Amino acid sequence: MIERLLNLLAFLLSAGRPVTADEIRYTVAGYGQEGDDAFRRTFERDKDLLRRLGVPLRLAPTDLWEVEQGYVLRGEEYALPDPGLTDEERAALWLAAQVVRAGGQAPDQEVLFKLGGLPPMFGGAALGADLGAAPRELAGLFEAVTEAREVAFAYKGKSRRVQPYGLVHRRGHWYLVGPQRGDPEARAFRVDRLSELQVGSRPGAFTRPRGFRAAAVVPDAPWEAGEATTEVTVRFDPEIAWWARRQLGREAALTEEPGGALVARFPVAAVEAFVGWMVGFEDGAEVLHPPEVRRALLDHVGLP
Amino acid sequence: MTRERTAARLSRLLGMLPWVIAHPGAEVAEVCSRFGYTRDELARDLAAVFVSGLPGYGPGDLMVAYIDGDEVVVDLADYFARPVRLTAAEGLALLAAGMALESSGAAPEALRSAVAKLAAVLVPDDGTLAVDLPPPPDLADTLSRAAEEGEVVRLVYTSLGRGETTVREVAPWRVFSTLGNWYLSGYCRLAGGERVFRLDRIREARPTGERFAPPAEPPPATVRYAPGADDVAAVICLGPGAEWVGEYYPVEVLPPQEGRPVVRFTAPDAAVVGRLLVRLGSRARLLEGPEAAAAAADLRARLRRRYGAA
Repeated sequence: MIERLLNLLAFLLSAGRPVTADEIRYTVAGYGQEGDDAFRRTFERDKDLLRRLGVPLRLAPTDLWEVEQGYVLRGEEYALPDPGLTDEERAALWLAAQVVRAGGQAPDQEVLFKLGGLPPMFGGAALGADLGAAPRELAGLFEAVTEAREVAFAYKGKSRRVQPYGLVHRRGHWYLVGPQRGDPEARAFRVDRLSELQVGSRPGAFTRPRGFRAAAVVPDAPWEAGEATTEVTVRFDPEIAWWARRQLGREAALTEEPGGALVARFPVAAVEAFVGWMVGFEDGAEVLHPPEVRRALLDHVGLP
Repeated sequence: MTRERTAARLSRLLGMLPWVIAHPGAEVAEVCSRFGYTRDELARDLAAVFVSGLPGYGPGDLMVAYIDGDEVVVDLADYFARPVRLTAAEGLALLAAGMALESSGAAPEALRSAVAKLAAVLVPDDGTLAVDLPPPPDLADTLSRAAEEGEVVRLVYTSLGRGETTVREVAPWRVFSTLGNWYLSGYCRLAGGERVFRLDRIREARPTGERFAPPAEPPPATVRYAPGADDVAAVICLGPGAEWVGEYYPVEVLPPQEGRPVVRFTAPDAAVVGRLLVRLGSRARLLEGPEAAAAAADLRARLRRRYGAA
């Protein structure tokens, strides 16, 4: 079976033109002796197996009149352009793929076979990360991004047409970034919340603006945004002072009181976000100043 | 099953051939170690190559592939001179992994250059793909070094739920980042089992000098939330300004109500859910979860007392 697959690949790669299933059947060693149905089944399974390995087998008309369809495998589409990796780079990449997983999944070793195999290993890493489960659509979206194909999908109950400019991973989630049809502004869509994905058939359907950075479109958490306006003073009890100290920015002026409590003065951008952050300390911290921020916190807490 | 084996075999073969073609005189031992072959398996795959090739299938049409002493010889196989391109999923997984480590500041120089080279053949330009991890806290250094060297650490740790502070000895396995936070996994002697600690809740970490044998395969870097029997759940309707909860936490998304998103938030301790509810205030409405409601009411009362407003 492996010989037949090698023969098929060799034939398709050297043919350089679309060849019909019949031509394959009567030319490529390994198929000839089978009946019609058996051939069709075998050939279907072989195509399927090759495609799963990443072999870009396409259907194309065999002549100008488009009477017959044949299979074509172009060398430039089949071959991985040589990234020119050194062994040290291969090892680093492999190690990264081992420690940074997607929902607990590490990539198959097969991916490394395409990049020159597993070089002699260097030390292991005790640092890792999990990027969260890769949504089913992620690979298709990545392809659409790299080939500049438009995509359509359902998102928050509406159908959208988007030019996918890029993909961003932040805080455990993947976002697709790009403008919707009729709207010049690029926006971010959470990949695990989109459905009914369709990828356009035309590559190069749009041009990404020069210097576009997908990462800039994904919003930061609400409590991080805004400009500094109010200066607040907060007392943190001794038991949680260490934790507060760790979270406060450089701009905070800190005074340690004799009992171990910490008094911090620092600028606050968004009062509501600040109040939310304060709740995390429960009753182990207190806003001392200014009165309107104390009031804001009490109002917030007073609500049923 | 045989199909799977054939696919795996073919994929290895289509990676091995280009490498041997690019490295004439390649040694058997090196080819075996790079591609995970035993000498026999390699010989068997080369034999399959030897009887395959182009129609005609005579000498000159077939490929040449055999082991000559310590050398692997491949000839007349130029159509297999390059490996198969990466699938979108493969390319993305490698790039994302590399970029994630890069963003954490933990990447060696070789990884930076590897990511740059791979990106150059896979993505249109460097603004296309971004993978950010939060910057690792200072303790990450101490702890990952202890994990690498197999040294027990003593932690002063404050639990997320009840706020209790404990001192515990832990055999550290791995420092990792997920869902926007950094964690340490390891064997905790106080708990007598495998535990995961959030780094920002570790108040102090000191290497003890005591060595331990690290597990052969440390568990994967994940805190995938597996609900436990004592968990507290709350069904929350998110009003304007509270949508971030659905983005930020690993919540279960339920059907919306009156056009507003509804999520089920689960935590091992009611205090965690209570804090979230108090934090959201009027921006969210609790639909289900009596323990969460009680925890929130208790926290509100304590806060009002603290401010002398009770």
